[in-house]
Amino acid sequence: MLTGIFALEPKVKTIFFIIDKPLHGNIQTQEFLDMALMAAAFDQRVVMLFEGDGVYGLLNKQKPESLGMKNVAPILSALSIYDIKDVFVEKESMDERSLGLDQLAVEVTIRSRDVLKQQMEAADQLFSF
Amino acid sequence: MKISIQINASPYQYQAADSAWHFIQAAIASGHQIYRVFFYHDGIYNALRDARPPGDERDIVKRWTTLQAEHGVDLVVCISSAQRRGLLEQSVAIKVGGYEQALADGFRIAGLGLLMEAIIDADRHLCFGA
Repeated sequence: MLTGIFALEPKVKTIFFIIDKPLHGNIQTQEFLDMALMAAAFDQRVVMLFEGDGVYGLLNKQKPESLGMKNVAPILSALSIYDIKDVFVEKESMDERSLGLDQLAVEVTIRSRDVLKQQMEAADQLFSF
Repeated sequence: MKISIQINASPYQYQAADSAWHFIQAAIASGHQIYRVFFYHDGIYNALRDARPPGDERDIVKRWTTLQAEHGVDLVVCISSAQRRGLLEQSVAIKVGGYEQALADGFRIAGLGLLMEAIIDADRHLCFGA
């Protein structure tokens, strides 16, 4: 008979990470992304959503190094390596800021607020910061 | 119900640590199990041994120490958040010549894996503080 951890069915939760603030102003973003990557490393179903001012974090040609901050764009581009494939940006947030997908540094899927709301309701856990 | 708690904000400046503590008291009184309290971001300041609030104020750090002593609640401080902000575990402090007594009684320092374990295993995971 299997005992210990092998006896347990692997539990997979859908964990939703909402980024609604600019990415490079403080260390919280980096620590927040660490959480998302760790969740993926634990084989959880990770969903990332950029909305509100968080969409600015996706813009290309950013130079946060001039603020002494680490650029998070390489992490965002590497999300698929961590098996994080559900990366969304809210359509309304993009429209309100007159932003287009062609201005973004990272490949994301655009979804409307209504659809995202349903996805959030279906998730096991929501995180924002 | 197995409840996991995450505290993201520093004590005194924000209400998060107070709200979480009151919530935990109520949860325990109602027969729920507190799986773990994980201190992340500026929440790590809840674990500073040398916090000395004036005598007529609540002592937030002592509250946590007491909670652990009375109910055995697992208080875990995120290691990367803590080291970044100058809170070192004794063994690390000895190695790097840092302050060795920084961590208050009842807390332990560990990695994000323990947060994930709590999120996955607990029935509910609640975050306090943005």
